[in-house]
Amino acid sequence: MNAVVHAPVFGLALTLLAYLGAGELHRRWRPALLAPVLVATAVVAVALEVLGIGYDEYLASVSILTLLLGPATVALALPLLRAGRALLASRVAVLVTLLVTGFVSVTVTVGALELFGVADDLVRTALPRSVTTPVALTVAGTIGAGATLTVVLTLVSGVLGAVAGPALLTLVRVTDLRARGFAIGMTSHGIGTSRALAESEVAGGWSSAAMVLNALAMTIALPLVARAFGG
Amino acid sequence: MSAAPPEAARRPGGWGAHVPAVLAGLGVLLLLQLLGTLLVALLHLPVPGAVVGLVLLVALGVRHRGLVRRVEPAGDPLLRHLQLLFVPPGVGVVTEASRLADAAGPLALAVGGSFAAGLVVAGLLLQALLRRGRAGSR
Repeated sequence: MNAVVHAPVFGLALTLLAYLGAGELHRRWRPALLAPVLVATAVVAVALEVLGIGYDEYLASVSILTLLLGPATVALALPLLRAGRALLASRVAVLVTLLVTGFVSVTVTVGALELFGVADDLVRTALPRSVTTPVALTVAGTIGAGATLTVVLTLVSGVLGAVAGPALLTLVRVTDLRARGFAIGMTSHGIGTSRALAESEVAGGWSSAAMVLNALAMTIALPLVARAFGG
Repeated sequence: MSAAPPEAARRPGGWGAHVPAVLAGLGVLLLLQLLGTLLVALLHLPVPGAVVGLVLLVALGVRHRGLVRRVEPAGDPLLRHLQLLFVPPGVGVVTEASRLADAAGPLALAVGGSFAAGLVVAGLLLQALLRRGRAGSR
């Protein structure tokens, strides 16, 4: 048993199987709150604890997944290229929305944390949360934030967007599919985008475009903001 | 040489036809990431190499649809299952659990608040701007 549990591929097998199982569960019952990634993460965390596998050993086993974050980031160019023509036609509206929303998100994040006197390094950790995870991780590295906590906050934002986003937008009477998609993509990146895609093809396209544009804008802006908090 | 597999035969010829399309696509993505890393190192850019790779792919992809078609077999499945790549760092939160508990209230407010504010602002603003733009052009 020990030979199996501590085999170099064990962590990778565990992660893939947990993800497959969680996806299957999601496909059958569609429980809104139980995003496959959250279920898979919980299953893996419990399994590691029970089997007595250290986090470092696990990380070494799944390094192939960590490495794939790079090419996945480059691949984000694809949705941007597909939505290209429609975006160019409304480029002023898109850019203004991007800048204003980015400013509001960062201000609210920093404001809430400063109000409670949270430590500066935690403020830095919370900053990249609206950015799609592969980029959030690299940004977190650049500004000196804790990678794991950044990922959790990013995942929470994504799930919030998928669960509450469409209802909140309907509540404030945003009916334009492009605006709905863009708003979800900007605040909830990939997880929100998959939800927007379920709403309509148009919303999904604008959502992934917003996700990429937001990632680009935040990659440039956040290191500057973080500098104010000792980053 | 033995007969080419049917999948390779269907694709347009050219380089990389002897490997599965997903591998050729992954190769292009990795090459773009490394090119981005090289540019970051040479020009001392403040952004990650992969993000520069993304910009490179957009710039090249606008002109060269063939390059985009090369990348898609690897890029599309990667993007559809991005979440799988988040599992390992997510698991690591167990090690940060105590710090998270200390600041749970403010963090929840910061994340929830900036999420709601960003969503509403983006939705209303873009909708208003798109409507105005359409009214102006007609």
